[in-house]
Amino acid sequence: MAEIENNLDVEEMKEMADVLLKTGTLLMSAGANTGRVRTTVHRMAEAFGYTIDLHISQRSIWLTMLNEHGASIFTIVRVTPAHVINFRTISGISKMSWSLFEERWTIHQLNEELQRLEKLPRFPRWLVLTLVGLAGAGFCSLADGTPIEQAFTFIASFLGLYVRQEALKGGFNPYVSVYFSAFAASLIAGSASKLGLSDSQNHAYVTSVLFLIPGVPLINSFSDILDGNVQNGVTRGFVGFLISFSIALGILTSALIYQF
Amino acid sequence: MSWLLIILYKSVWGGIAALGFAALFNVPVRSFFHIFLFGGIGVFIKFTLLHFNFNIALSSLAGAVAIGFLSIPAAHYKHTPPLIFYIPAVIPMIPGILAYRMILGLITLTGNPKLANYSATLYETINFGLKVVFILISLSVGVVIPMLLLRKESVKDIKVPFTKK
Repeated sequence: MAEIENNLDVEEMKEMADVLLKTGTLLMSAGANTGRVRTTVHRMAEAFGYTIDLHISQRSIWLTMLNEHGASIFTIVRVTPAHVINFRTISGISKMSWSLFEERWTIHQLNEELQRLEKLPRFPRWLVLTLVGLAGAGFCSLADGTPIEQAFTFIASFLGLYVRQEALKGGFNPYVSVYFSAFAASLIAGSASKLGLSDSQNHAYVTSVLFLIPGVPLINSFSDILDGNVQNGVTRGFVGFLISFSIALGILTSALIYQF
Repeated sequence: MSWLLIILYKSVWGGIAALGFAALFNVPVRSFFHIFLFGGIGVFIKFTLLHFNFNIALSSLAGAVAIGFLSIPAAHYKHTPPLIFYIPAVIPMIPGILAYRMILGLITLTGNPKLANYSATLYETINFGLKVVFILISLSVGVVIPMLLLRKESVKDIKVPFTKK
């Protein structure tokens, strides 16, 4: 009899572990730092009265369920989906992890909320393109660019992001997509100098690629290292470095064409 | 006072640049205004300190720390984690022009070993590169300094005056 009860217990535990891993991998792929993933998953497990251990890496999360004596019952692994930054998911999971404590959620409610969070809408494409174009114009202004140069940067960033989205959709490697995007943007913005609308400093040309800056990997890299998650921090830092390198290659290719 | 007007004008564009990244990162709509505001404040602090001849890495650090501190009450007020505010808001301070000059310098150094002003280019490239590295470290560490100083695991544990419960 005791054995059957034990089995039921393990089934429940497996269901719980599944939900926890789903939350963790969702957070990781949306661009949360490792410390946040760890805290959130531990907080959720605690709310349901389970004790767990975690190993979090860039591409997968391992979870061990522990019994009351701290001995492991089972360990499961889940692969993290491709990293696509989505702060709305992070915000939603943060809210969920608090309300499940305060409102005593069941595991089914949790599953429903996770399904909703997985399908959160993104901003319409034209809006993202326009705002990123304006961001390019903003960078140009910060670098002492003139309004004419800003107009060129707007168009360059707008079309550069369009190229990146299309390249990703076409199944290109993310770094290759960044390269295409940087090349397209700097080629468009560089025409300002060739048309004599920009001074010798080439402000438009240089600032047109700044919308590609890997801000999330670079900042998360340092938060992870300061937090003790050195391995993930180094991985993220290297990803950020590679993206920067792709940007540099793109801008240099158009420099070769324009003979800057 | 014309320098102040120029800095204010740049701050508005800095805020707009932060908004572009907010859209790219798909932030919740309710955090848009604060991201614009913090992006502008960061740029304002950086350029004001630069105007008074402070070191560029220190100026960036001050801007980033300010954004980090402001993100904590905003996180309480808008019920969303602080990183949603501070990551888009610090990106406008990233030194794009310096990074470009460093890369350009490296390419020149690699391709032209018989360049007449080789050592001048070398010094310049090292200087630009060091600045880029230190500014990037200042920005990334600056935004998390407030969380380290307040020594709490979650922002919810930090008591913020003047916010609704």
